[in-house]
Amino acid sequence: MIFSSVFFMFVFLPVVLLAYFLVPKKFKNVVILISSLIFYAWGEPVYVVLMIFSIVYNYIAGIEMEYHRKAGRKGRIKTVFLMAVVVNLFILGFFKYYGFLLQNLNRILPVDIPYRALPLPIGISFYTFQTLSYVIDVYWGNVAVQKNLIHFGTYISMFPQLIAGPIVRYADVEEQLVNRRVTIVKFGDGAAWFLRGLAKKVLLANNVGMAYDAITALPGDEISVLAAWIGCAAYTFQIYFDFSGYSDMAIGLGKMFGFEFMKNFDYPYTSTSITDFWRRWHISLSSWFREYVYIPLGGNRVSKAKHIRNIFVVWMLTGLWHGAAWNFIFWGLYYGILLLLEKYVLKDVIERLPKAVKHIYTMVLVMIGWVFFFSPGIGSAFSYLGKMFGIGAAGFVNATAIYYLYNYILLFLVLILCSVPYTYKKFSRVMLRKKSRCPVAVATYILMFILSTAYLVNATYNPFLYFRF
Amino acid sequence: MKGLMRYIGIVKYILIMLLTIFVMSLLSGGEISNAKMESVAKRVTKAIDTEELSEADNRMVKRLYGINANDYENVVLYVSDSNMEVEELLIVKLKDTSQSEAVEAAIDTRLNTQLESFEGYGPEQCKLLKDHVLDVRGNYILYVVDKKAKAADKAFQKSL
Repeated sequence: MIFSSVFFMFVFLPVVLLAYFLVPKKFKNVVILISSLIFYAWGEPVYVVLMIFSIVYNYIAGIEMEYHRKAGRKGRIKTVFLMAVVVNLFILGFFKYYGFLLQNLNRILPVDIPYRALPLPIGISFYTFQTLSYVIDVYWGNVAVQKNLIHFGTYISMFPQLIAGPIVRYADVEEQLVNRRVTIVKFGDGAAWFLRGLAKKVLLANNVGMAYDAITALPGDEISVLAAWIGCAAYTFQIYFDFSGYSDMAIGLGKMFGFEFMKNFDYPYTSTSITDFWRRWHISLSSWFREYVYIPLGGNRVSKAKHIRNIFVVWMLTGLWHGAAWNFIFWGLYYGILLLLEKYVLKDVIERLPKAVKHIYTMVLVMIGWVFFFSPGIGSAFSYLGKMFGIGAAGFVNATAIYYLYNYILLFLVLILCSVPYTYKKFSRVMLRKKSRCPVAVATYILMFILSTAYLVNATYNPFLYFRF
Repeated sequence: MKGLMRYIGIVKYILIMLLTIFVMSLLSGGEISNAKMESVAKRVTKAIDTEELSEADNRMVKRLYGINANDYENVVLYVSDSNMEVEELLIVKLKDTSQSEAVEAAIDTRLNTQLESFEGYGPEQCKLLKDHVLDVRGNYILYVVDKKAKAADKAFQKSL
């Protein structure tokens, strides 16, 4: 089940909200847990078993660590902790990378090992990182162990952020699992977040995604330089509005149930450097890697050589987290190299550049990065990049490029406007400064809802890019 | 407390055993084929008469099936040269088996559209459409509408 579906918005969500607000406080997490398992089982009837395993196993591991800590058995705590990390990484590694590993082994070995590539359990990368954050924080003594299985199950399976994040760290919601309040203002704020996210996903991402699909489906000899850039720009916008839209919906739903999740995007396309971009894009994932990999490795408080190693480890893992394919690993390392260049070589140069040049520099590199991300392999990524820079392209501009530019220029302008904070700030200022304008703001949200629903009812095209992770 | 902890420890090992059984059951059947699309397509097209068929490009795949060929490892589509004929051959090599559902749905939609188009005045075409073969084998999917569809399917299975 996805948030941007008619069934979710008109059946599932209203029923769950009704149940949630009708039951007494001590049963509220039970409602969230049961509805989350139903939500997950809807799309993954088999893999829900895996999620239940994950909940029970990590819950027990937490209890055991607490018991051994009280008994002063440091060695036993470490054993339980390491075993929990291995089990969690095995689940993620097996379901996500087993096919990739055998595929590559078959390329090297003289014999073919037959294997069955299993479908990826939706959201496994997200919820495994959540369980890991819990066991690591319990081991480090940063959080108290969760003794209530319902609360713990709620944390792991919570449907608003279950399948596409944000990756919520246990420490951030520990208190909220027990004590949280939903006020009418918070509920309304949550609904507004959800509707903004829905509109970003359905009205913006899905529509611009059609341009990307159409251009990449063109035969190679029909793609001119301009068409290649339009296709890449279309994907650049699609992935942002798709993923940030979904994150906004998750944050909004969380608020409607009283939770506060961290923001996952902070206008990444307004960044003035790649370093800045990664402070604004998929913030919950970057923070996770920073907290649990980069800092434990020593971060930047080590020798230059070790720092370079740390950056490469983190970015290779970031790439690998996104998918079991070489192009994702390459994409991760590409950012590792860029970040190191910015830190050690280009820092002073970039600082002196005019702001507009900084934006162009960042966006060009980000767009090149997305080519590695959207291409089925490294070879096809370089072939597409070649076309963007005139190698193997059908000229600089051709009729196809003009056709797509003409058809999508207005949408691109809207997308640019919606990528900058100015639009949202202006909207809030104009609409909410006076009470009398509130009905206009409400009407705008209702209009967004009606338009999105109309699109969802009519369109068969409603992919979600981040489900594959 | 000590007794309870021992019990909890046992539960943990039982869980790991159950996980192992779960994984083993998922792994049985539906193996992935490493066969190259070129060789699969060559063997399948040999089994049917392709004189009246032409190989279609990715745009045609998108137009007829609504799927984006770039999302898959490889897609080969042959369609009849004439609008009045329904012979068609589609072979899809999936990136992972989770994609099969979407492809099967796309094939189903295409089949129904064709059936609706020829219903009432094209009994021969309708018969061919109804006798179609849709074969999902691990990461390969074959859809063929042809009087030799069964032979094509046999060639398909042998080629994997």
